Amino acid sequence: MYNDEIMDRYQNPYYFGKPERYSIVIDEASTSCGDKIILYIQEENGVIKQIKFEGDGCIISMVSTDLFCEKATGRNIEEIMRIDESDYVKNFPVEITPGRLNCALLPIRAFRRGVGRANIPGNLK
Amino acid sequence: MLDVGSIRRDFPILQRKMDGKRIVYLDSTATTQKPESVINAIAEFYRNYNANVHRSVYKLGWEATDCYEQARKNVADFIGVKSEEIVFTRNTTESLNLLSYSLEGKLKKGDRILISSMEHHSNILPWMRLEERGINLDYINLTPEGFLDIEDFKSKIKKETKIISITHQSNVLGTINDIDTLSKIAKENDSIFIVDGAQSIPHMPFKMINGIDYMAFSGHKMLGPLGIGVLYGKYENLSELPPFQRGGEMIKEVDFHKVEFEDPPIKFEAGTPNVEGAVGLSAAIDYLKKIGMENVRSHEKYLTRKALDSLSTLKNIQIYGPRDTEKRGGVISFNIRSEAIKRKIASGNIHLDGLLHSHDVASHLDESNVFVRSGHHCAQPLMKYLNIKGTARASFYIYNDIDDIEALVSGLEGIDVQ
Ligand SMILES: Cc1ncc(COP(=O)(O)O)c(C=O)c1O
Repeated sequence: MYNDEIMDRYQNPYYFGKPERYSIVIDEASTSCGDKIILYIQEENGVIKQIKFEGDGCIISMVSTDLFCEKATGRNIEEIMRIDESDYVKNFPVEITPGRLNCALLPIRAFRRGVGRANIPGNLK
Repeated sequence: MLDVGSIRRDFPILQRKMDGKRIVYLDSTATTQKPESVINAIAEFYRNYNANVHRSVYKLGWEATDCYEQARKNVADFIGVKSEEIVFTRNTTESLNLLSYSLEGKLKKGDRILISSMEHHSNILPWMRLEERGINLDYINLTPEGFLDIEDFKSKIKKETKIISITHQSNVLGTINDIDTLSKIAKENDSIFIVDGAQSIPHMPFKMINGIDYMAFSGHKMLGPLGIGVLYGKYENLSELPPFQRGGEMIKEVDFHKVEFEDPPIKFEAGTPNVEGAVGLSAAIDYLKKIGMENVRSHEKYLTRKALDSLSTLKNIQIYGPRDTEKRGGVISFNIRSEAIKRKIASGNIHLDGLLHSHDVASHLDESNVFVRSGHHCAQPLMKYLNIKGTARASFYIYNDIDDIEALVSGLEGIDVQ
């Protein structure tokens, strides 16, 4: 259905699983399709030491979440909070049609809402 | 047999090419396309008759009122009721909300409302709202095939069950509920019986029966424009029901602290109504009458049979809903099973269902201009009942034909589910 890179990541995501240590949990369901992701973040001084996820959903949202975790690892929370949605979609390994924007943006939006709720350094209020 | 070729020529949007190819529109359950005659009727209203209705003394105002009231009569005739029993609303959702608010005064704490597990959110949430006031909401179970479980229905009718509200045809399973039988059972209990006709009025011959107190449907699902809906109510019921919204048009007399409302249906149409919508809906009804509702129904039965037969040949498909086309309409929900490309990881709190996500299926079909709906179809309780997250859904109307089903099936064959 999609290219190999996408299908491969969908079947064998790099960042899937629940880590032993984490300081923030973000549990988010997409309202439009019932997709669900849980982000586990190990944060130290505003830096994302490790981020992993669990969840189930469409191919786009799951691959996007895996890619997002890759992008976020080792970066400042503040930086990740400021990711530009249209850049993110533009750089996605497969074309995102308007009907699938919510799927692709699920991890970013979950992250923003979750970090917004957790009162931690780097949190842009 | 419908002459689908000539019907298609009546629908400008179906002449569109996208990426050089024709469009295969299989989402009439969500909304239907509009024939030229409907588009023209709306333009004609604005070109020649536009003025505010009901309160104008001058000629143009009366002509506009006439357009509006003629439309009402056409709707009334179409379902075999009196004009005064037709209230224009925005859509099915507004019609059902009107009932929820206006019937509220008849209910007391401990009363019950009975709906089914196959309802659209618009026939759930207006009733769930009343739970906050101590009213209990019950759901009728379904049989494994996707019919209402009549024994369960009977067992859930209590003397406190004041309202029973049920869809005539499911927008997910396609199931056509036996409204005649259900209404008789409801009436034995003196319950108010409400029918969501959003998916039935557009697709089958229908004449009102005595056991139905209220019925709701939407213009846009029957070739009419967006923003016009209908609430039918028996006149004696409407007479005693308080209004939903208040304001212009709907009064006989207003004093500083007192108001006398108009008679139905105007009592329920506060403010300037959607006259172009009513006019467009009336033109849609004319179009459907010309084709004949018997023919609409038999065409859809034919397409549904063909679609069920050819979809069933796909080895990884899961189809939901009854198989007997006498008892179902032209809406087919399905999922594609795919153990092979499903992620190999399992995890504690995530339920993997072994199905391709319906959005991925719909996106794949979209690439070949086959437009189907995906997701929960505003029926999340039904999805939970079926223990799935969503389905892809193809639905048919008079402008669909075998070539559309072929396009759907070959699009699905293109999904390489080993
Ligand atoms: C069975 C059923 N009821 C109600 C509705 C709501 O219709 P509307 O959105 O026009 O209010 C729909 C629309 O999908 C439907 O299929």
